[in-house]
Amino acid sequence: MNTVILCDNITHYYGDKLIYENLSFDVKQGKILGLLGKNGTGKTTIINILNGYLKPRSGECYMFDEDMEHISPATKARIGLLLEGHIQHTYFNVRQIERFYSRFYPNWKNEAYYELLKKLQVTETQPISTMSCGQRSQVALGLLFAQDPDLLILDDFSMGLDPGYRRLFIEYLKEYATAENKTIFLTSHIIQDMEMLIDDCMILDYGRLLLHEPTHYILDNFRRFRFKSDVLEILSADGLWNSEKIGSSWETYSFLSDEEVKKILSQYQISDLKVEKLSLEDAFIGLTGKY
Amino acid sequence: MFQALFYKEWVKTRRIIILIGAIFAGIIIYSFINTGQTFRIGGSVQAWADIILKDAPVFPSIIQWLPLLTALLLAFAQFVPEMTNKRLKLSLHLPMPETKIISTMLCYGLVILVIIYLITYIILITGLSFYYPQEIRILAFWKSLPWFIAGLTGYLLATWICLEPVWSQRIYNAFISICILALFFIRAQSGAYLPLLYVLAIIVIIGFGLPFYSATRFKEGKQ
Repeated sequence: MNTVILCDNITHYYGDKLIYENLSFDVKQGKILGLLGKNGTGKTTIINILNGYLKPRSGECYMFDEDMEHISPATKARIGLLLEGHIQHTYFNVRQIERFYSRFYPNWKNEAYYELLKKLQVTETQPISTMSCGQRSQVALGLLFAQDPDLLILDDFSMGLDPGYRRLFIEYLKEYATAENKTIFLTSHIIQDMEMLIDDCMILDYGRLLLHEPTHYILDNFRRFRFKSDVLEILSADGLWNSEKIGSSWETYSFLSDEEVKKILSQYQISDLKVEKLSLEDAFIGLTGKY
Repeated sequence: MFQALFYKEWVKTRRIIILIGAIFAGIIIYSFINTGQTFRIGGSVQAWADIILKDAPVFPSIIQWLPLLTALLLAFAQFVPEMTNKRLKLSLHLPMPETKIISTMLCYGLVILVIIYLITYIILITGLSFYYPQEIRILAFWKSLPWFIAGLTGYLLATWICLEPVWSQRIYNAFISICILALFFIRAQSGAYLPLLYVLAIIVIIGFGLPFYSATRFKEGKQ
């Protein structure tokens, strides 16, 4: 499989605040990669770096083997970019914006745009500035589909969308990616939506990459362990994530097997051990902590 | 692609362009009424003598500020929307070399201004031919030329300020811009600017490069 995105040892600071140190990852063709992280962990920052809108302190990023600072027009035509908040040129109306973008892309499919917009209660002459966030998201998505890019980069696509629009967005994205072997790199705050969409999951914590694994691997192997114990502290151990006392009970998270976790916890005189499978959102909380 | 970019700029600025057109139409009408009044009250000999001997202005004094003010209006109408929510990222993501994208946007603004200035000039000079001899019209042309060059320079400087991503740097740029623009409005006898016109032209040419500097800073993510 070809590598579509490659980030190599990216280190970036805002002032003295470390965002990442030596962050490296890649995205293969045909994959949907979700970048998850709490606020301020640098999700939008990495999208800005990738597209050449931010110069990192050190490191290199490549898209389609081109350096982030020198992406050619031909490669830009292969990349669909959705900015956080579905930002678009709001001074256009529905028809004008399609007319504008169509001149730049050789494979422009205006039927893809208008087909999606049929679902909206808007006229072709309605200014984008008068649309709701959900309607604007559909305009932005329609434009991306009409562009027919090989790589879609979506920054917090679910921001401001109600459940109906989110579901619509996800269904279209999934269909687009699987039917045409497209690559998608996206970030979102709403993790429950990602579960049904992303193949690979990358979780950022403050200053570092916490995890980069296939989504099914996380869902199949990462579990929550609840138990009772009188101890006041459980020492951090290899394989246990975010052990926390809640009332008289404890909970911890792990990729390890039941036996391995029991063995680690045996020193704390635990009782009533319960093992729970997790949704992606719960897994995210387990990996990053609640606070 | 260039046509599409021009189309985008047109959609963004058409209302402001109509407003600018209306402002210039108003000032042209006012100029003719003012000149007619001067001739009616003082007579043509007095009006000519005031211009030739006392260096009285041929155009109403407000005209000297109009090219600059309208250029600022156009620059803000074009580039404030680009910087709102950092939409310039969308423009720079278009499959064209970034320098061509910025150049096209700047050329659009400059072409619009030059067209408006030329139309205004032609109407004014043609209209004044009913009142003044050619010598006085040529004098008025050279005297007002720096104001129109100030309009083009002001447009480029305003763009430089708008595209700058850091507010403190914007204020610094604005201060420099005011100093540069002051050069175009020094009180002087008619014709005093003639030896300096090439300097003003050089300022315009240098000014064309400044928005690219701001765009580069924007691209680097300066905050």
